[in-house]
Amino acid sequence: MKGLEKISKYRLWMVTLLALCCITIYPNKGSAKSTVNPVKCRIELDRNILPARNAQNVVVKVTLDAEKPEIKIDRPKVNLSIVLDRSGSMSGRKIEKAKEAAIEALRRLGPRDMCSVVIYDHNVNTIVPAQSARNIEWIESRFNSIRPGGNTALFGGVSQGASEIRKNIGREYVHRIILLSDGLANVGPSSPEELGRLGAALLKEGISVTTIGVGTDYNEDLMARLSQNSDGNTYFVETSDDLPRIFTAELGDVLDVVAKRVKVIIECPEDVTPVRIIGRDGRIRGRTIELSLNQLYGGQEKYALVEVKVPAGKTGQDMEIARAEVSYINSYTQEKGTSTGLVKAAFSDDMRVVEQSTNIAVKKELYLNYNALAEEKAISLSDEGKETDAAAVLKGSAQNIREFANKYKDQEMLDKAKAMEQEADTIEVDGMSSKQRKSLRSKSYQMKNQQMEK
Amino acid sequence: MGKRSILFYWLLILIPAIIISSATFRLLYHEQERINSLALSAAEERTRTIGETIQVTIEAVEDELTQSLLNIPGDTLHKTLLDWEGNNPLVRNVFIWDEASGLKYPEKGMAATSEERNFVSRFQGLFTGRIPWPSKKSNISSDQPASGSSGLVQDINSLKKGRQELLKIAQNNASKVNTSPESGDQELSKGGWIPWFSENRLYILGWAKQKKNGPVYGVELELMTLLSRLINSFPVIPSVHTAYALVDDSDRVLHQVGDIMIDKKTKPLFTVSLAPHLPHWALAFYTQGDNSPGGSGNVFMIPACLLLIIFIAAIAAGGFLLMRNAKQNMIDAMQKTSFVSNVSHELKTPLTSIRMFAELLLEGRVKAHEKKLKYLQVIVSESRRLTRLVNNVLDFSRLEQGQKKYHIEEINAGVFLKDLAEFHNPRIKDAGMKTILNIPDKEIIIQADRDALEQVVLNLIDNSIKYASSGGEIFLSTKGDGREVEIRIEDRGPGIPDTHRNKIFDKFHRVDDSLTATKQGSGLGLSIAKRMMEDIGGSLSYTPGQGGGSCFVVKLPLKSDF
Repeated sequence: MKGLEKISKYRLWMVTLLALCCITIYPNKGSAKSTVNPVKCRIELDRNILPARNAQNVVVKVTLDAEKPEIKIDRPKVNLSIVLDRSGSMSGRKIEKAKEAAIEALRRLGPRDMCSVVIYDHNVNTIVPAQSARNIEWIESRFNSIRPGGNTALFGGVSQGASEIRKNIGREYVHRIILLSDGLANVGPSSPEELGRLGAALLKEGISVTTIGVGTDYNEDLMARLSQNSDGNTYFVETSDDLPRIFTAELGDVLDVVAKRVKVIIECPEDVTPVRIIGRDGRIRGRTIELSLNQLYGGQEKYALVEVKVPAGKTGQDMEIARAEVSYINSYTQEKGTSTGLVKAAFSDDMRVVEQSTNIAVKKELYLNYNALAEEKAISLSDEGKETDAAAVLKGSAQNIREFANKYKDQEMLDKAKAMEQEADTIEVDGMSSKQRKSLRSKSYQMKNQQMEK
Repeated sequence: MGKRSILFYWLLILIPAIIISSATFRLLYHEQERINSLALSAAEERTRTIGETIQVTIEAVEDELTQSLLNIPGDTLHKTLLDWEGNNPLVRNVFIWDEASGLKYPEKGMAATSEERNFVSRFQGLFTGRIPWPSKKSNISSDQPASGSSGLVQDINSLKKGRQELLKIAQNNASKVNTSPESGDQELSKGGWIPWFSENRLYILGWAKQKKNGPVYGVELELMTLLSRLINSFPVIPSVHTAYALVDDSDRVLHQVGDIMIDKKTKPLFTVSLAPHLPHWALAFYTQGDNSPGGSGNVFMIPACLLLIIFIAAIAAGGFLLMRNAKQNMIDAMQKTSFVSNVSHELKTPLTSIRMFAELLLEGRVKAHEKKLKYLQVIVSESRRLTRLVNNVLDFSRLEQGQKKYHIEEINAGVFLKDLAEFHNPRIKDAGMKTILNIPDKEIIIQADRDALEQVVLNLIDNSIKYASSGGEIFLSTKGDGREVEIRIEDRGPGIPDTHRNKIFDKFHRVDDSLTATKQGSGLGLSIAKRMMEDIGGSLSYTPGQGGGSCFVVKLPLKSDF
């Protein structure tokens, strides 16, 4: 019996040792450090020290830092639907490049990912129903059947793409539609407002729509609104040669999603009053500011700028200005995550100290966001035929950027100011061209959405 | 049977055929109309059923949402509505309104998003209390079966699938709420749906009220979601050149299925209204080109007409061929009659001479030796003529039956023609003609049947003697060009009239075929000659002679080419 007990003990030790080895060799992927809390919330002011004895407006920047996941961790599965415009205007090189780019993008997906391809003219056809991306040869062969011709049922195309996405909506995927179009939607709802509403509805289902406009004939307002409201990206591609690069970049984003359904709630203490949200749509309820985003990509920084009114403070006083709570769904674990931040401000009578405490990075983002708003205003003015006013708005914004650049010795901002002044001059003389309008709309959107430059 | 009789019989077939065809065409036309009318009815029924199913779907969604609204407990009303607004794609905006204090949600100012501010402005009339909250009941039951022909089943199933998905979204709201309002207030609870037009666009607002003095609250339906889901389950149209389209109050196409490119100029064949749930919206049906829904067009009519045309053409062609054949038979019969008359005449003439001179000799009344000799010569000559005539008839018969045998051998064309001319020179001289030979010194060897060639050349010389003795000359020549040899027999006679040139080689044809013709003949000589030359690989043709007269050309292959 003793012998048997000895053998049993020996076996138990062996099993324990083996188990330990296994844990060491195969660490639990889901429990990796970077996926525990992939989003960090930072909260800053445009000045850390405020002038004492006067009520004043302060800009609060809430930054969400999304950590790039470790390579060995399995990325979240992707549910991608590519919606291609095959209307008559896409014929020739455009459709060929679009097909090539789409195939290249689909090749980057793995066997765990789902994909579908929808094409539309005045009718909508699903050439690849939602399925695993492992069967790429068959999927590629389906692209050969695409022949351009007909009108542009953009709404129907996106709806069908969403329908394909919904086939796997219950599972843990990052849902994304990539829409490519070069023309004006002329079948179905086709105003920016209506497509924006479709985008907002899709966002509620966790589906984002990235829009890629090719050439200078598409409706950039519609495309930008659709992406904006569904928290996707938007791109303006002047020639079809850039399509493969854009598709690859976009897919890079989709494959790097670390957090979904991101909500930011900023609470201000009793004496601090929210004034406005800069560059984003949100809600101010009393002293609470609510903002929502859909997806955060690894290595990306997204932020919200909020202007608040701070009461008069005394020198040496430390006042809490705002605290932020970010909630999200971790794409790796599908669990809810939160991150919080708090910001306080000090007060001083010495304006030199106040000036020195300026947070240049926040100020820069602020100016860039003001500039994005100015670009949007210039577009509206140009649409009303007020080209001179549009140029004046852009020049005014360029002047602000120039002043900032000179003050803080920022060459990048100086170059931007110069480029803007040149653009404003052109608009003043020749009016705003379609290409300029698209470029401004795209840049403005990308700035407000902090879309990484591609 | 005369030409008239043939024409009469032909018309006898053709006229009933045309009458039958016309009647058939008329029947086919009516049949096509009937098919088009059936297709139109089917398309109408299909469109109506799809329209009704869309309405039933919307009503079911509205009912489901109303039920969900009424089931929200009063204490969680605000929170639940906010949750709907944030997460339900079918809900565009939510509101809470109180008769006493007005709009409680969306809040005023910065607490509302721009979308909410527009929403409040849109329904200002209701939120200010200027317009009462109407309770609406639809006439269409949500249990109404989507009945229709078997072809519709697939369409309806497709739409039903869309409805189930929409209902699932609407039901999600209800499932989040487990408790019901107090039973005592249930009877007082009411709600409804209001189609609302603002800036010429349709919006749909659903509202509920649980207690008599309680707040009115509700949701604005997100029409884009509704539309997006509905069009996904729109039935696929099977026919070509047709399309369904969902059109709004300003005739804007919201979605279409079918291969027609619809623009503002395209007029629908018919429309089915989607009121009352979607007022001024309609489901329109389009066809291209003609009024033939179902894509049949003239698909039935065109092949039927083609068959009809083929039928008439076959009758007409058959009749024409019969007529032509009959005419040819008639001509042949006439020629044979003429032939028999001519042959009889030809036979009778030498026989009469033979008989007359033979009787004279038999009776012994001719004493003179020279006279006897002359009579005997006439008898011999006429016998030869008779033999030639019989041989011609036999040759013709053999040629017709394909039983004529040829013995091909090498012949020196020049020597052959010279010998022949020499042999027959006395006869030619007797006719008062002179033979002119043009034969090159070079040896020309041909491959031919000697007897056949001799018969042909002799026949041509005889014809010259017979018809062209007045010309006084007969030219015989040979010429080789490396591939073939030409033997020409030419005279200076009257020649052959233009109208007969194409027919002289036809059997039984004679330029003068009357019984009173001055020259004797059967009309077979040239026909036999041409046939024999073709049988041995050569040809015989006629060409007007130089300086008038006739020229017959025999062409035969040279030895190497044979």
